Amino acid sequence: MNELERALTELGRELAVPTAPDLAAGVLARIEPRRAMRLRRRRLVLAFAVVALAALAATLAIPEARSALLRVLHIGGEQIELVDELPAVAPAPAELDLDLALGKRSTLEQARREAGFDLRELDTEPDRVYLGGRGTVWFLYGTPSKVRLLVAQTPKLGLGEPFLLKKLAASGTQVEEVLVGGARGVYLAGAKHLVLLVDERGEIVEESARLAQNVLVWEANGVAYRLEGDFKRDEALTLASSLR
Amino acid sequence: MHQSIAFRTAYLLTGSAADAEDAAQAGFIKAWAALHRLRRGAPFKPWLLRIVANEAHNRRRSSGRQEALRLRSSAAHPSDGAAPSPEGAALEREQREELLIAVQRLDVRDRDVLTCRYFLELSEDETATVLDVRRGTVKSRTARALARLRLEVEL
Repeated sequence: MNELERALTELGRELAVPTAPDLAAGVLARIEPRRAMRLRRRRLVLAFAVVALAALAATLAIPEARSALLRVLHIGGEQIELVDELPAVAPAPAELDLDLALGKRSTLEQARREAGFDLRELDTEPDRVYLGGRGTVWFLYGTPSKVRLLVAQTPKLGLGEPFLLKKLAASGTQVEEVLVGGARGVYLAGAKHLVLLVDERGEIVEESARLAQNVLVWEANGVAYRLEGDFKRDEALTLASSLR
Repeated sequence: MHQSIAFRTAYLLTGSAADAEDAAQAGFIKAWAALHRLRRGAPFKPWLLRIVANEAHNRRRSSGRQEALRLRSSAAHPSDGAAPSPEGAALEREQREELLIAVQRLDVRDRDVLTCRYFLELSEDETATVLDVRRGTVKSRTARALARLRLEVEL
């Protein structure tokens, strides 16, 4: 260690750093509501499983109705399952939860460098950027508690079983197959639907449970794209075409 | 056990006690939630500090500023513990203040690497984990930052 390095080390020891406050109390205060929410979500997932199993039992008993339940679409790493009734969802999760679920907070520059594929962007820069599981890059416009627009881009190599996203669409949700710049896509609109992220181990990320707005999903050039926002089909298609 | 180093890390990166407390708390919560992702056998401290540092960076970015760090008022004693002459103490204090100002003038990436290596006294490997860069990057950034400092201060 040379003189400058020694001087820096001594300087560090002389810096006026305030005494660390009692972080545990603050952490507990922030965790408790979250823990309560987790319990609510566990109940919610359980409730969904019960609904799905009941519906499966009913449809298996009535063969002609089987196709209604087994309508499952796979696109862009998503599994879209239609169920008869969407379970009640807890109020919008705290900012921290979605923050946790999407991945590591990043910057646009870092995402461009680390994406490993040609990231497509809108003219307006996102408010937040996250690097998530399966190489997904998330652009968030708005805040985690009030999402205006969410753009996800996942390299197809990162997909596979189990799927990145598991989506449960209520019967009131409109599911329309569309073409996005010549590529096959699906537009979901109408009743809000429950979105759950599935991690690399195939486990549901509980923090991600939330009601999504309208969604457009498509695949192109080995990348899965997903737009979520309060938009109509044509607006979503226009947004998709302006993603360059 | 890790509260003190977590808070110190966040404070040295943000310069704000309030932001540091917030970042350290958020860091602990995120680490707790992501504990299953900690590689088996990987050291906990740098992994925790990386999460805290990310939180601190986010707050520093969103506030758009970093408050200047200050020296303790007792900083006038020399490192070897010998009683300083008033002139010697004043000179030493002046040099340290000059060095601190020079560090704070550095590019944020250079400053962060020096903060980890010397103010937090982390190893190169720990620094690499905290800053989420390769060890080689820590080495090169440290060398570059020290070279820049040498242009500013006489040491």
